[in-house]
Amino acid sequence: MLPKFDVLTDEQINKIHKNSMRILKEIGIEFSYDPVIEIFKKHGQRVEGHRVFLEPDFVEEMVEKAPAQFTLHARNPEHNLVCGDGNTIYMPGYGAPFIYDADGGKRDATMADYDNFVKLAGASKNIHMTGGTVVEPTDVPDDIRHLKMAYSHITNSDKCFMGSSSGYEFARDSIEMTAILHGGLDVIKEKPALICLINSVTPLKYDDRMLGGLMAYAETGQPMVIASLVMAGSTGPATMAGALSLQNAEVLAGITLAQCINPGTPVVYGSTSTASDMSTGSLSIGNPENALFASASAQLSRFYGVPCRGGGGLSDAKTVDAQAGYESMMVLFAASTTGVNFVLHTAGILQYYMAMSYEKFMVDDEIAGMVLRYLKGFDCDSDEKMAFDVIKTVGPGGHFLTQKHTRKNFKTEFFRPALSDRQSFDAWAKDGLDTNQRAKARWQEVLANYTAPELDADVKAKIEAFIEKRTKELIK
Amino acid sequence: MSTIFDEIKDAIVDGDEDLAVELAERVIAEKVDPVQAVQLGFIGGIEEVGKAWTNGEAFLPDVMMAADAMKAGMDVLEEVLAAGEGDGGYEDKGKIVLGTVEGDIHDIGKNIVGALLTSAGFKVYDIGIDQKAEEFVAKADEVGAKIIAASALLTTTMKSQKTLVEYLNDNNLRDKYKIIIGGGPTSAKWGEDIGADGWAETADEAVELCKQLLA
Ligand code: B12
Repeated sequence: MLPKFDVLTDEQINKIHKNSMRILKEIGIEFSYDPVIEIFKKHGQRVEGHRVFLEPDFVEEMVEKAPAQFTLHARNPEHNLVCGDGNTIYMPGYGAPFIYDADGGKRDATMADYDNFVKLAGASKNIHMTGGTVVEPTDVPDDIRHLKMAYSHITNSDKCFMGSSSGYEFARDSIEMTAILHGGLDVIKEKPALICLINSVTPLKYDDRMLGGLMAYAETGQPMVIASLVMAGSTGPATMAGALSLQNAEVLAGITLAQCINPGTPVVYGSTSTASDMSTGSLSIGNPENALFASASAQLSRFYGVPCRGGGGLSDAKTVDAQAGYESMMVLFAASTTGVNFVLHTAGILQYYMAMSYEKFMVDDEIAGMVLRYLKGFDCDSDEKMAFDVIKTVGPGGHFLTQKHTRKNFKTEFFRPALSDRQSFDAWAKDGLDTNQRAKARWQEVLANYTAPELDADVKAKIEAFIEKRTKELIK
Repeated sequence: MSTIFDEIKDAIVDGDEDLAVELAERVIAEKVDPVQAVQLGFIGGIEEVGKAWTNGEAFLPDVMMAADAMKAGMDVLEEVLAAGEGDGGYEDKGKIVLGTVEGDIHDIGKNIVGALLTSAGFKVYDIGIDQKAEEFVAKADEVGAKIIAASALLTTTMKSQKTLVEYLNDNNLRDKYKIIIGGGPTSAKWGEDIGADGWAETADEAVELCKQLLA
């Protein structure tokens, strides 16, 4: 595996760390949820109303308790994932309310789209888990969306997935469903199987719903990504160092809280900080600043000894065009090569998280494959790989196409594109399809050929019974 | 020699809130014509910034700080203007109550809409985030607003925009106000579906929309 490169010097890391500690101690951070205030009081931290002022020593002590890595368990153990330890985990985009289609159309996302993206993620060899809230299924009432979404992940794939963090109750529902899938709450307490996304409210706040979610996951020992999205220039300072310090303060406060609730509970240090578009105030994500924030966050999380989330196949484009490609490659490549472990939003996102696109998903899947290959780097471990003998056999002026060594090695050494066109001009010109059109044909083909891995009928029935019971309770 | 009107204009262009207030106080103390101070100074300044923004020369902080400075200065002048002092009297382009709907705490977009409306000469009353229908309406009633503008950024809170329209219907107030909506997941179609008077995708389109509605 490739060594991860750094974007900050040790001195810069120290300055950011100190600045964040100063923010937490002198400015403090607001938690709207009363039970959380009690927790901080109990740990001897200064509290004024809902604002908590955290002592640097205390924060460091708590962050220390978080594990450097953990295993997330899938229904099929072949898909278990180690989060941390230099690994890179890819998954679909998260939370988009719209679908943009190949010919430029825009529509509301539905549950059918949801199932499709889970299947595409299930089918992909580059996408390691099926993610969470892969689109907002707007045709499902929001009281029960979290149940339907979890059901989709459970039945359409056997890879790891994410659960709801929208308040304590919904979070508990997703945890219960995962518990049924794995044979009980005790089982997943031992072997974590569900992860969620907790967001701070930048600048310097955490709201009730997220804190409720945080408590549910921490109590049951399920991992969570604790993330901050600083929109530098609007919800945060316009300097990179300032925005990074602010993000760092928020994430550390969240991790501290999780460790207070359940020492040792697995957390992921999350960042989606980026630059605002200063003409319109709009979020923008396909930019070098976002890439830098992701890389710096990976480095900070190494400094704190926890895994990192950041980056993705991120773009502000509205359709699968050159912009969609170059922006996504930049952010995904930077995040992956600098050591981000958990890459939410790897595939499908267009227009600053507003939309998912099937074609974009296939393009990002290809990008992910290319980056994963790059991350494997060079294998110099054997004579076979150093290839002296075959170089000697061929000698000056020959070629390697008919060597056994070639046939044996190229498949594992080279990336093989699934989408990129490498034909001659004439061969390409016969249909003349651009990436967007090829991607459309490709996802349709993948979906048509997909069969979901079988789920034990008894487990399935139990999960369905749970959904039915909860639906009755939630929809009055 | 530069006049106080030029000074006000410069203060607005610089987004200097303190100076704008100071100059507005001088207008009152020195009995300068307040209407001219508004037209040549405050509005002159904000129009200049607005134009530069449209041309891509100025950026959002320039516009938003100019709008804040203008608002602060105009608040000082409010009394003398209301008393009808000055040449020809001054009236804002219309009062607008703006807020983010119940259950939603996203406010960047709303704030931008507010700033651009202010800079276009509307008087904006921003009631903040997570606001119930009755709070929008109470404020609109209190200040005599003509437009109620509601922002929603979540598919789950868009229905609160619908609730707002229904609330007005139920209380026989629908004809009294124009309702406009916006925010990421909303659309022209959603606006039509719930019976709003208008929808805009961006803040500058929101300004055009309000101009049309009050024309
Ligand atoms: C920043 C942000 C946050 C910040 C908000 C900080 C703040 N002070 O506002 C925080 C972190 C708190 C946050 C929280 C959440 N967020 Co959020 N957030 C965003 C993000 C990234 C940017 C929003 C933004 O400010 N954009 C910039 C402004 C300028 O754009 P705008 O708001 O759209 O406004 C423009 C127009 O819409 C229009 N407009 C706006 N209002 C109005 C009103 C009128 C009357 C008119 C005419 C026009 C108009 O003019 C504006 C200027 O041009 C969006 C993604 C996105 N790209 O929008 C997600 C997003 C909106 N959030 C989302 C979600 C899911 C959430 C959370 C539920 C949790 C989570 N997973 O992050 C919570 C919910 C909290 C709550 N109860 O409201 C989803 C929504 C999906 C959905 N279901 O609809 C999005 C789309 C991201 C995603 N793909 O997951 N979020």
